[in-house]
Amino acid sequence: MHEMGLAVEIRRLAREAVAGHGPGRIEIVRVAVGELSAVEPDLLEFAWEAAVAGTEDAASKLEVDFRPARQTCRVCGEIAGRAPGSWLRLCPRCGDALTVSGGDDLDVLRVVFEETVPLGGASS
Amino acid sequence: MIEVDVKQKVLASNSAAAATLRAAFEAAGTLVVNLISSPGSGKTTLLERTAAALKASLRLGALEGDIATERDAERLRRMGIPARQILTGGSCHLDARLVDRALAAEGRALASLDILFIENVGNLICPTSYDLGEDFKVVLLSVTEGEDKPFKYPAIFSKAAVTVVTKTDLLPYVPFDLPAVREQVRSLNPAGRLVEVSAMTGAGMDAWLGLLTEKLAEKRARTPAGVASA
Repeated sequence: MHEMGLAVEIRRLAREAVAGHGPGRIEIVRVAVGELSAVEPDLLEFAWEAAVAGTEDAASKLEVDFRPARQTCRVCGEIAGRAPGSWLRLCPRCGDALTVSGGDDLDVLRVVFEETVPLGGASS
Repeated sequence: MIEVDVKQKVLASNSAAAATLRAAFEAAGTLVVNLISSPGSGKTTLLERTAAALKASLRLGALEGDIATERDAERLRRMGIPARQILTGGSCHLDARLVDRALAAEGRALASLDILFIENVGNLICPTSYDLGEDFKVVLLSVTEGEDKPFKYPAIFSKAAVTVVTKTDLLPYVPFDLPAVREQVRSLNPAGRLVEVSAMTGAGMDAWLGLLTEKLAEKRARTPAGVASA
C-alpha cells in the first residue's frame, strides 16, 4: 500500500499549482493512472480522502483517469476489447507473440480550485 | 472556479533523486541491480550464492531493504561482502532518497564497487513504482508461489529486465507450470530475459552469473570509468 505516500505527493503538486495563482481551496484533482503503474485507483481515491482530511481541501475529490496498456500483435495489430487485467499470452487470431505498450502513466493532469479570500479580507 | 493544467509526474521528485544517483553510479562505473519479489522467494539466498561465486573477481556490495531487523545485511556480511541494512519502519518499498541516505552513511565503502545489489522490501507491487537509479530491475518468482503471478502482477513483470525463477529444485514436488510462466513473461516483456535457478543445488546459476558479468561489461563499455580503466 504505497497509495498513501502517492496521495500526499499529489496534494503537494496540486498545492504548488494553486499557489501559483494565489490562495485557493482545491475542488478536484485529476490524475492519470496507468494499468501498469502498480497503483490501484480505488485505493488512491481512498488515500486521497485521508491525505486531505482536516485540511482546507477536505471537501475535494480525486478523479482518476484510468489508462489501459495495449497488447499488440505484429501481424494483426492491437488486440481490441481486452478487459483491464486480462492479459493474453498469444494473439487470439494468429497465435503470434504480443508486445505490451503504454499504461505506465502516473501523472497529475489538472487541478480545479476555488479562489479564497485570505483571513483579514481584501480591502478592494 | 479556476482550472489549471499541471501535467506533472507524481513521482517527479523521486525520479530527480534517482537521476542524481544514476549519474553517480555512471561516474563510478558501478552496475546497480534492483531486486524485487515477494517475501521469501529467495532474494537474499540468491545474493549469498552470487557473492560466493563472484567476490574473488569483482567488488560486490549490497543495500538490504526491510521493514525490520538487520538479518539480511548480516547474512551478506558473513559472505564477505559489504552490506548495509535500510530499515523502512513499515514502508513497503525503498525510494531514491532512502538509497541516497544509506550510501552517504556508508561513506566511500559502497562508492567504488563493480556491482551494487539493492534488495528491495519483499513486495511485488509498491517497489515497482520507485526508480532507485538502478541499471535494471530483477524480479524473482519462486516455484512455490504458483505460475499465475506474472499476469497477476503485470507491472513488475513488464518492467523488470530480468525474471529469475527460483527454487527450481522444488519443481518435482509442487504443481508449477514453467512453460506457462515463460509465456506470460514473454507476453508482458518480449525483450526481457528469463533465468531459472536453484541457489541450493547451483542449477542455472551460471546463466545468472553470466548475465551479471555481461551487463557489467556492457556498462563499462559505455561509461567514463570503464573507458578510463580499459
